Amino acid sequence: MASAEQPKPGLPTGKLNKAGLMSFLSAQGILVFFLLGMIVFSFFSEQFLSQSNIMTVVRQASIIGIIAVGVTVVIIGGNLDLSVGSMLSFSTVLVVDLHDKIGPTNAILLMFALTLMIGAVNGFLIGFLRLNSLIVTLAMLSAIQGLVLIYSGGQNVDIANQEGTWFAFFGRGYLGGIAVPILIFGLLAILVQIVMSRTGYGRRIFAVGGNPMAAVYSGIRKNWCVFSTYLISAFCVACAALVLGSRVMGSQNNVGQGYELLVLAGIILGGTSLLGGAGSIWKTVIGVLILGFIQNGLLLMGYPYYTQWIVTWVIIILAVWLDLANKRKRLLTTHS
Amino acid sequence: MLKKTIITASMLAVSVTAAQADTYRIGITQNNVGVDSYQTTYESAFEDAAEEAGNVDIVVLDAGGDVARQIGQMQDLIQQQVDAIIIWPTNGQAVIPAIRQAHQAGIPVVVTNSKIAEAGLDFIAAFSGPDNVQQGISSAEMMCDALDGEGQIVQISGQPGYTTAIERATGFEERLAEACPGVELLETQPGNWNRERAQRVMEDFLTKYDRIDGVYAGDDNMGVGALNAAKGADRADEIIFIGATNFAVGYDAIERGEYYGSIYQSPVDDAEAALQTALDVLAGEDVPKMNFFETPKITAENLGEFDRPVF
Repeated sequence: MASAEQPKPGLPTGKLNKAGLMSFLSAQGILVFFLLGMIVFSFFSEQFLSQSNIMTVVRQASIIGIIAVGVTVVIIGGNLDLSVGSMLSFSTVLVVDLHDKIGPTNAILLMFALTLMIGAVNGFLIGFLRLNSLIVTLAMLSAIQGLVLIYSGGQNVDIANQEGTWFAFFGRGYLGGIAVPILIFGLLAILVQIVMSRTGYGRRIFAVGGNPMAAVYSGIRKNWCVFSTYLISAFCVACAALVLGSRVMGSQNNVGQGYELLVLAGIILGGTSLLGGAGSIWKTVIGVLILGFIQNGLLLMGYPYYTQWIVTWVIIILAVWLDLANKRKRLLTTHS
Repeated sequence: MLKKTIITASMLAVSVTAAQADTYRIGITQNNVGVDSYQTTYESAFEDAAEEAGNVDIVVLDAGGDVARQIGQMQDLIQQQVDAIIIWPTNGQAVIPAIRQAHQAGIPVVVTNSKIAEAGLDFIAAFSGPDNVQQGISSAEMMCDALDGEGQIVQISGQPGYTTAIERATGFEERLAEACPGVELLETQPGNWNRERAQRVMEDFLTKYDRIDGVYAGDDNMGVGALNAAKGADRADEIIFIGATNFAVGYDAIERGEYYGSIYQSPVDDAEAALQTALDVLAGEDVPKMNFFETPKITAENLGEFDRPVF
């Protein structure tokens, strides 16, 4: 896709000043939105910009954020992963249920292993069998829901001794004054960003997502690249399950359902293209934080939480529109 | 789903062979089994109760929370000419036409657990379930006692639009204003019967309000989520937690002294009452329209009188 973004010489640009503004907005637009939103909310609620509230929001957003880091990699590689919400239910129910049965260490290890296995199945079907990722992960979404219900028998699972387990560290702990979920989110984001921008592996993922044919002719093993992105996505889900399970110390079967759309919303808001081959983890982090602050800000202003869905929709449309407007150097279409 | 299909299939097979005159066929369409432990326990309790009763064949269906699917299931049950239909409405308004169809086909309908709208009451034989308005009233009285009539509280309600959530909130709010004018309800936010959602809502409440003396949650699952949030903010000691539908986690928290009280509502009682009501209707007994099973207050004082909930 990188080639498509280069300006074509013969294109009528006409409004140079506006184009300059628009290109700034589309490159940094999401940051501008972010700051504007923060300012507006802070007028309406004095607690909004307090340190404790900002910490609360980032901590709440970290579960979606951790997953979004992984899914961004999948999307840059040119595919989708819609199964992450169900996977989160599965992994959370599993780790919480096994905690009391086989101890926290074993529960965590087994949970990571099984979650990665689901990721491997996704990766195999999409990477090696070349099945459409939308279909594979959508089917996986409902398959895992069934799996969770069979496993739990529809019952809630809980950790009996919530005070006396070190498992509490991942969701409720603090290190150097910062909540552990934020640290996990931050570390994962930095790590994956470095991998994506500084290593050969990262460049291969971009290449595969941008132009798969060219990537294959350049000697990139496309199958393995796609396969690996689903392992990364599954790994991130497992980390999120760790945080979620530890934070709630229990799990319902439907926890995490619908998260795949929140994750996608965060990624799209950040500006990563769903077409693959472009995007970054930083953008996703900002997108996810915007979602978190919208939800929190509206709640502090006293609106019910579902108003955020409408506000989020408006912002996503604006973000996508500005991005497109910049590419064609016009706000509206050039011809009908 | 698979399990249910098999049950349904086997029930149909049974009913063909055992169509004796004294055996009733009762179809049930449930709301959303598996979404929470209450509904899951209800289903198995219902099956046990039917087996115990002896003279009942049951067709067990589940709407998966989907109104359209539930209406379809109602129509299937009418087609099968079951003797009675028990429905756990996914929506108190939208299922009324389907209930009217059953009524017109001469099949008595018993509504279980969650009420339907006024307009549908003429078409049902009876309602059986908890009195959720009364539960809200009881919770308000507990809150009043716990706070000595003075304080600021927040409410985390159930799923928006769901009858149980609305009735509990209404009962609570009205009784609180009447019995306890000194207690101010600062804000209500839905928690969707979901512990994680409730935890997030409570975290935001804790940021927004420097002083919170009490929390009323529409069920214990959400109440424990609120408790988690308050513990995380080191403010659990200053807050009274009151829930409804006592869950095992809520029961344990009452035992530990972290949670003030709840409403004891057993899905087993709920299921047994529904079947019994249907059987009474079929036996031609004079059954009142509204049949509420008892849902007492539970606090640290009387905890010992109740078994720990299985869910």
